[in-house]
Amino acid sequence: MAKVRKPELVVIGAGPAGLGAALAACEAGLKDVMIVERDVELGGILPQCIHDGFGSMVFGETLTGPQYAQRYVDRVEGSDIEVKLNTMVLDLRADRSLTAVNSRDGVMEIKPKAVVLAMGCRERTRHQILIPGYRPAGVICAGAAQRDINIEGLMPGRRVVILGSGDIGLIMARRFALEGAEVEGVYEIMDHPGGLTRNLVQCLYDYDIPLHLSHTVTFIHGRKRVEAVTVSRVNDNLKPVPGTERLVLCDALVLSVGLIPENELSKRAGVLLDPATGGPVVDENMETSVEGIFACGNVVNVFDLVDYVTHTAEIAGRAAAEYVLGRKERKGEALRLRPGRNVRFVVPQLLSGSEKEVYFYFRVSRPERAVRAQLVTDGTPLAARKVRMVRPPEMVRLRADPERLKEALSRGDLTVEVLPEDKESERGPEQRMGKG
Amino acid sequence: MKRRIHLELPDSAQAIVVGAGIIGCAIAREITRYTPDVLVLEKENDVACGASKANNAEVHSGIGEEAGTLKQKLNVRGNRMYDEFVKGLGVDFKRQGLLIVVTPRSILPQVAEKMSPEELDDLLRVNIPRGIVAYGEAAGIEGLRILTREEVLEREPNVTPEVVSGVFDPNYGLVCPYKLTIALAEHAVMNGARIFCNTEVVGIRVVDGAVKGVITNRGEISTSLVVNAAGVFADEVADMAGAGGFRIHPRKGATLLFDRQVTSEYVRSSVALFRMPGMKKERSKGGGAMPTVEGNLQLGPTAVEVDDKYDTSVSAEEIEEIFERFHYLFPNFPKDAVISAFSGVRAPTHEEDFIIEPSDRVRGFVNVAGIQSPGLASAPAIVEMVMGFLHELGIPREPRPDFKSLRPATPRFAELDDKERNRLIKMDPRWGNIVCRCEYVTEAEVLAAIHSLVPARDMDGVKRRTRTGMGRCQGGFCGHRVAGILARELGVPVTEVTKSGEGSPIYLAETKGFLRTERARHGQG
Repeated sequence: MAKVRKPELVVIGAGPAGLGAALAACEAGLKDVMIVERDVELGGILPQCIHDGFGSMVFGETLTGPQYAQRYVDRVEGSDIEVKLNTMVLDLRADRSLTAVNSRDGVMEIKPKAVVLAMGCRERTRHQILIPGYRPAGVICAGAAQRDINIEGLMPGRRVVILGSGDIGLIMARRFALEGAEVEGVYEIMDHPGGLTRNLVQCLYDYDIPLHLSHTVTFIHGRKRVEAVTVSRVNDNLKPVPGTERLVLCDALVLSVGLIPENELSKRAGVLLDPATGGPVVDENMETSVEGIFACGNVVNVFDLVDYVTHTAEIAGRAAAEYVLGRKERKGEALRLRPGRNVRFVVPQLLSGSEKEVYFYFRVSRPERAVRAQLVTDGTPLAARKVRMVRPPEMVRLRADPERLKEALSRGDLTVEVLPEDKESERGPEQRMGKG
Repeated sequence: MKRRIHLELPDSAQAIVVGAGIIGCAIAREITRYTPDVLVLEKENDVACGASKANNAEVHSGIGEEAGTLKQKLNVRGNRMYDEFVKGLGVDFKRQGLLIVVTPRSILPQVAEKMSPEELDDLLRVNIPRGIVAYGEAAGIEGLRILTREEVLEREPNVTPEVVSGVFDPNYGLVCPYKLTIALAEHAVMNGARIFCNTEVVGIRVVDGAVKGVITNRGEISTSLVVNAAGVFADEVADMAGAGGFRIHPRKGATLLFDRQVTSEYVRSSVALFRMPGMKKERSKGGGAMPTVEGNLQLGPTAVEVDDKYDTSVSAEEIEEIFERFHYLFPNFPKDAVISAFSGVRAPTHEEDFIIEPSDRVRGFVNVAGIQSPGLASAPAIVEMVMGFLHELGIPREPRPDFKSLRPATPRFAELDDKERNRLIKMDPRWGNIVCRCEYVTEAEVLAAIHSLVPARDMDGVKRRTRTGMGRCQGGFCGHRVAGILARELGVPVTEVTKSGEGSPIYLAETKGFLRTERARHGQG
């Protein structure tokens, strides 16, 4: 039991991020790759996402979650990748060694040359948003409810109130409705919906499920099982307005109130985290502050499309392979990107000059119409895109050429910003910049 | 689920304890040292379902209690007895100490205004700490130490820089109250006691001024000795016997609990802000910040009078109050790391003191009532006092030679070293199957909880015994797994698994279940 395993690469997590990274690493030449997954099967959260809409960017067609996952699972199963299911990583250290456990192997010491963090994210609970009230059965996070219904075949509620209009909340509203449960309504504390527009239409409007913006749940009733919730309107500071309380009878409160990148292991290894994303600070190779530890997918930042997750996974997998094979030398000081006007955060956060094209993912702080999203160095645009509408829940992606990025590196400044599009610049930075 | 709760009630018992909280279970355990023939009756689905599961886990020293009260006397004594009390139970107990912090807010502003800066400094730096020490020493509390501002900040660097001085009380301890209750219950059962859950006392049979039996929702048991340890319901149980005359007015207290990964080193000891007598609005020691045995930071509790003895809700006002209060004491406390908020209902009487006495009207009926904080700390001394009465009322004085003094505890995977982990996994592979990811709880531990002497029958029962669902994800990942194991082990469909007994199912149907009933209804119509 105590034998130390020394694979080239260990990927922690077998969701789309982990699978994508492991496969990319193999394609880049690694022979001894191990995936460690705590669940009973590969695919992460995808097997429970039975709705469609996955893969339009990666595969050019829309798939269901299980279909999307299966494409990677098949490839992994046809490869030499060693898969450890039902295996929990207990510890990860800065020297990249890790301790894991399962029933068959017992406690294992694993000393890989590189590690890819692909642990995904977890759901924010009622206590993290401090909903007052009792603690009965029937208060459940949307993703957990999705698993109950789609995998376990069990209904956690019959008359349901949903708090939070993020995508999972919307999708679960429809899912409950399809199962014959009654969805009393979806309540959203913000004055705008949290999920993608297509989900609003397909999951709420098509099923006549009301969406109550600027509302939140202010009390959970029921000592044993949820009996009702109090909902209240909120003011501009998101505080409940006294006198607007309404009692809604229900037997379940489903929460879709945010996802948190799952970085407990990253912290143990001393990986530097970005407070804005909740995930590791990474460079364009998806390498973290700890050499040889890479990260991808939702552990870095909660992406809204699985296609983006796969994209970062492939980068991380390839870069990890290059690292193991000794092709990559880590540059000294990396350039730190600055989030500019109406930009909350950017991933990757660092640029270390690896002469590749780079996709920058970022979120805005507030909704804005007719804007130009751009990458600038010392005020000179390097890459830009016109966007009709930006909203905090919808991530923006910007591609930049290696040539352009070199310029930024030499100047030591790179900023991502969102500017209102005016007539003048409509001819566009793209044209101004030429085709590069 | 059904298996154990429908065990036949016996016809008679030498003694019956009403209520399976910490006090009831501790008394039952103590009785079994002399006779095995004791029953504990509990109306909930598990032991430790009232205040014993929802307090701050503190073993107070007695320094916060009013001089001359029974509370203070039993608290000071109980604290001293604690190491002996928990011995052999396999429950962690440690003395982390209490740091009483003195700041300018320790006194009323109108008092401060009338003083010169020198006088004020003298009061905060010298006289108040000395006063605290003198007060404690008068109550028999030993080891109190005055700390300078620098010493306070060195000990607890997160405390407000406004601190002027402090007093350290090394006697304060931490113990997990529900784990202790469960351990005491199991220890009692090991020694012959029987515990019946879902068994509500509805009457006490009294004939000619003496207890003859206890009437429950599941039948009557004859006995000549009843110990009323019914917590917030102790007044109602006493009234059933005609041995009452006091009222319990429920007072709830809410606490915020933080992620231990973030807060395990936030405070070393319990920390409380000293406030001059008369400054407290509410009747509570005022709460503070304290770690749990496991390392989670706790802030609280509040103290709110409520009408309903079942009111374990946490209100928005309480959350705000806790934030406000501790924002002062700990300017940088980790607001975002809250993982849980809970509330317990205290059981004070109007006299605010413990009522521990045999009834002078009903022979064989002993009240152990009004046990609110520091009930956990006082428990050993309360038990000792109650045993004095019980010996008078017929419990033998001679200890049993066959009393088993050790209660084996299930090891916790999270706390073992790798060698020990591997040894267990070799023996039983389920020790290698992690069910709860946040707290590293294995399937073997869950099984042990379900098949223990005082078995877990619901999700909360497993949670209290193993910590499943107590971490940062609060059961999001492990909920369905634990429910599945419970269903399998208890031989019931998973739709019958509950969170905390009857009326609290986790799942309401299988998928398509609602559609089927819908169709059936349409078919009939």
